[in-house]
Amino acid sequence: MIEEKDIINVDEPELTAGERLYLPQIAGGMRTTLRHMFKKKITVQYPEQKRELRTENYRGVHRLNRDEQGRVACVACFMCQTACPAHCIHIVGAESPWEDREKYPVQFDIDELRCIYCGMCEEACPVDAIELTPEYDLVGRTREEMIFDKEKLLMVFDRTKETKPRKNPKITGYSGTGCADEHTVTERGEAH
Amino acid sequence: MDWLIEQLKDQLVFSVVLSLVVFAAIMTAVAYCIYFERKISAWMQDRVGPNRVGPLGLLQPMADGAKFLLKEDIIPAFVDKPLFVLAPAFALIMGLAGFAILPWGGMVDLDGDGVVDVMCQVADPGVGLLYLLAVGGMAVYGVVVGGWANNNKFAFLAAMRATAQMLSYEIPMALVILLVVMTTGQLGLDDIARSQMGEGNLWHVCHHPVAFFIMLVTLFAETNRTPFDMAEAEQELIGGYHTEYSALKFGLFFLGEYAHMIIGSGFVIVLFLGGWHLPWVSFLQPEATSVWAMLAKMSVFATKIAAFLFLFMWVRWTLPRFRFDQLMRLSWKGLLPVCLMLFAYVTVLLYLGRQTDLMWTLGGNGVLILLVLIVAGTMGVPVSGRQGNLSTLPWEGAVRAR
Amino acid sequence: MAKITIDNQEIECRDGIPVLQAALEAGWDVPHYCYHPGLSVVASCRLCLMEMQLPHPKTREMGWAPKLFPSCQTPVKDGMVVRFDSGAVEQNQKACMEYFLLNHPLDCPVCDQAGECHLQDYSYKFGESESRMHDQKQVNPKKDIGPQTLLYSDRCVMCTRCVRFAEEVSGTEELCIVNRGGRAEIDIFPGIPLDNPMQGNVVDVCPVGALLDKDFLFKKRVWFLESGDSVCPGCSTGCAIRVDQSDNRVQRLKPRYNPGVNEWWMCDEGRFGWKYVHDVERVTRPRLRRGAEMETPAWESLGEIVRYRFEQQVDRHGAAKVAVLLSPMMACEEAWLLAKFVRELAPDATIATGFVPMVGEERCFPVGCNADDAKFVIRREKCPNGRGVELVAEHFGGSTCDFDGFVTKAGEGAFEAVWVVGGYSEEWVPKALATSLAKIEMLVVQDMFESALTGEAELVLPACAWVERDGSFVNHAGLIQPFERAINVPDGARRDGQYLFGLAGFEGLYSGARVRALMAEEMDAFREIAEAPRQPAHQH
Ligand code: SF4
Ligand code: SF4
Ligand code: SF4
Ligand code: FES
Repeated sequence: MIEEKDIINVDEPELTAGERLYLPQIAGGMRTTLRHMFKKKITVQYPEQKRELRTENYRGVHRLNRDEQGRVACVACFMCQTACPAHCIHIVGAESPWEDREKYPVQFDIDELRCIYCGMCEEACPVDAIELTPEYDLVGRTREEMIFDKEKLLMVFDRTKETKPRKNPKITGYSGTGCADEHTVTERGEAH
Repeated sequence: MDWLIEQLKDQLVFSVVLSLVVFAAIMTAVAYCIYFERKISAWMQDRVGPNRVGPLGLLQPMADGAKFLLKEDIIPAFVDKPLFVLAPAFALIMGLAGFAILPWGGMVDLDGDGVVDVMCQVADPGVGLLYLLAVGGMAVYGVVVGGWANNNKFAFLAAMRATAQMLSYEIPMALVILLVVMTTGQLGLDDIARSQMGEGNLWHVCHHPVAFFIMLVTLFAETNRTPFDMAEAEQELIGGYHTEYSALKFGLFFLGEYAHMIIGSGFVIVLFLGGWHLPWVSFLQPEATSVWAMLAKMSVFATKIAAFLFLFMWVRWTLPRFRFDQLMRLSWKGLLPVCLMLFAYVTVLLYLGRQTDLMWTLGGNGVLILLVLIVAGTMGVPVSGRQGNLSTLPWEGAVRAR
Repeated sequence: MAKITIDNQEIECRDGIPVLQAALEAGWDVPHYCYHPGLSVVASCRLCLMEMQLPHPKTREMGWAPKLFPSCQTPVKDGMVVRFDSGAVEQNQKACMEYFLLNHPLDCPVCDQAGECHLQDYSYKFGESESRMHDQKQVNPKKDIGPQTLLYSDRCVMCTRCVRFAEEVSGTEELCIVNRGGRAEIDIFPGIPLDNPMQGNVVDVCPVGALLDKDFLFKKRVWFLESGDSVCPGCSTGCAIRVDQSDNRVQRLKPRYNPGVNEWWMCDEGRFGWKYVHDVERVTRPRLRRGAEMETPAWESLGEIVRYRFEQQVDRHGAAKVAVLLSPMMACEEAWLLAKFVRELAPDATIATGFVPMVGEERCFPVGCNADDAKFVIRREKCPNGRGVELVAEHFGGSTCDFDGFVTKAGEGAFEAVWVVGGYSEEWVPKALATSLAKIEMLVVQDMFESALTGEAELVLPACAWVERDGSFVNHAGLIQPFERAINVPDGARRDGQYLFGLAGFEGLYSGARVRALMAEEMDAFREIAEAPRQPAHQH
């Protein structure tokens, strides 16, 4: 139930005589547009010029980060797939071949055409393995080409790691039993 | 050369040549109008506009033209085929027909013998203004027929809107034109232009600024340009009357629209801004009849038209579209009463013989403007009314719905 | 019926059950780990503690007793007053949760139990969000304790459900607790793996992700699974199960609580026995012989073709030469539809019940007990619906026989037009049958895999796996249990029920319930279930 006291009635503002006559407003508008005609243009001539991205937080093509040993940092927890509102991530997990890790992705596909670049996956990832990069010039000739697999995503990381280093390079993965990962235990163990 | 001049001395030959030249010029102009429309809109929005085809994008119109020509021309199965094909042609023809009577450059003495040979005008019927009104009235057919032939309810709605709009705005327009006719006593366009030149004659805009303004407004409405582009309001009507058109037919509608703009500007210039005349410039006076003077006059005329076209574009990229009821209200409750008052006043002036007396004409205009201001300022001018509180004119009783 | 008061609310409950059970059944969400209705009560986790009113020792006045009582160990008594919503109870829950989480690793992202884990749920609901643990966590090892099962002992909360299961239900006693206190671990005895035929249940009883199934390990996160309530076709016990599928593939089977039948359990044979469903060798398209060629007819035209060919046979050889073999892998509904179709075409047709695979002996659990005391029985009859097709055959009456009778008669050349239904996951056709049926004029084979018979058939129809169908099975004790469809049929195939529905002269979509309603009009056995299918009362 909405209470009476919560309702705010908003009246239209009364128009002044000038506004009601309309003509002064027109003149004002015309002046504005005329002024803009002589302003500096903000167009970026795209393929020749590229825009300097002012923010490192730009949400462009994804990358799959590598840990310090160059292995894919993803632990195939499916959190990103779960969080993704566009259902564009497809992971196949398996037992990892490494000692310090339970699980890793044997297959990791992102449909970049379907993605809405919301960054939920990055947000959801417990090991900061998936990140969105400032790369925005994403083109391809076929739909298949635009489905990025694990290799391609790792390549994006190799391409962009200089300009945008991995946020948390220490994290190597979620350890399972018998392979205590100091980092996981101490830094992450604080909160359940 | 002499032979050529001899031939051209014949008004008929001259008219044919002139019409060809003007036609070619207009078509190019129209193409570049589209280019400039895009450029100007871009500049006003802090962009650079088309710049990829040719230097500065100057070849863009060719590319557009080629595209219009080469695209698949779709005729949907459900349209009224003959009308569907005819409508764009109609729009263009009606747009171009007006050029026949535009006075481009006054009298010309081709061979320099001091005798005026021809008139730089394709035709100068004595009733030029009536022809103009007739052709202007026909222009709506392009839209109506197009909208009907589309057999699509949105297009049809657009056509209906266009009809209503044109009918409504033709009345103030006719009244304003009548005003000019009354003060000059002429119907021929060249005569009207000429009546604004020479000793003691001023451009009509000086005597009738309000009328000029109304003429401008109606011109926007007649050419279906923003803020009166109800007929092609994309947001509400898809594309309006040209929803189903594609390729060349679509292009023809475009050409028609711009041709219409050019010709409309030409008429306003002739009626109020002295046509090719500029005061104090000797070779732009009716007495100067050399070929060079003619060319100068033509370019002045063209420049004035260009200025008008810029105004059209400027307004288009500034003002939002009217709502249809506002548009109707503006015409019937705003422009028409003002026109009638002006009309009555000019009649009185004529009776008193003061129609060329600046004090009387401007004084009257001033009083009128004051009156409008008072009515608008206190009662609210109908045009700016929102749907919720349509304020009414005093004589309609003050019913304010909340 | 006892009346007790929980949190100021009076509820009625069965006599003799623990308060915890009563509260759970009445809708309270009381956290608990060690209590499992199918196992003995140990009251070791202390998570379910409640407050209870007792008479004051001196004044005999009723009042809240100063200590907390384990609700899992306290049987209900008429007039009892308990509460779970007091500060003391909540404080206990918080303390217990903190204790359980002391050494628990934070590896939910890679733990298969995440999403259906009681530790997650309770910690979210009853626990604190911060841990005060300063020291290094005690990390117990991950152990491979059996061919099907992994034990992540660092995730264990020492509820001992698994140990009790192995003791009390399977009776095989492979699991035990080693060490004490904070170092206590679950383990197997050296060299003796956990490999009893019911060991899969330990994964189900484990409230956390300590015991995991190798078969499902890392396959899917559980929240991507969609379930269908089904009945296991592995033997005639008819365990109620849940089919968890995702992407139209079965991912795992889980038992559903089904009192008097399988209770909370199911055997490994059934649990892992679904692999054939996704076998690429399966028959997925109908196949019709036209002259020497085999072609794939459109499903739409199938009814007409079959009818026409059978009518031809009846005209030529008489109705008595027609027979149908109803497989015990079929649902009752399908069997009924097929029998109806055949009997309408040929009123004298023989209705035979199909091959019933028998393997070994009945196996009763806990091991070593006799059939009457058994908590769970794996039956030797390895088909779900032997009783069901018998019921149908009985209902139609006339000329009926069992499988052996059918094979004999076929060998004598008694039939010219036969519809054989298989649907077994293994080769089942006896040589004698294959040779005798090879000779007849019209053979329709409805089967899941190619066999000696499909090669000889005029028409081969795909039989779908039970997860792709819906209907009902009648178990060894005559209990009719409906099952739902969990996944779609393979490309090109149609549900058996659907095409049989059409053949039997009905229009529209087949559904088990719809056909059961029709059957109920003629068969008493189906009357009750058509009205109200059996639903387990309380799913634990
Ligand atoms: S950015 Fe958003 S839509 Fe794209 S993959 Fe990540 S979660 Fe999905
Ligand atoms: S959330 Fe991170 S770790 Fe988990 S699957 Fe996605 S990328 Fe891998
Ligand atoms: S392994 Fe699971 S069932 Fe067994 S004691 Fe530990 S938590 Fe309980
Ligand atoms: S459930 Fe009662 S003590 Fe564990």
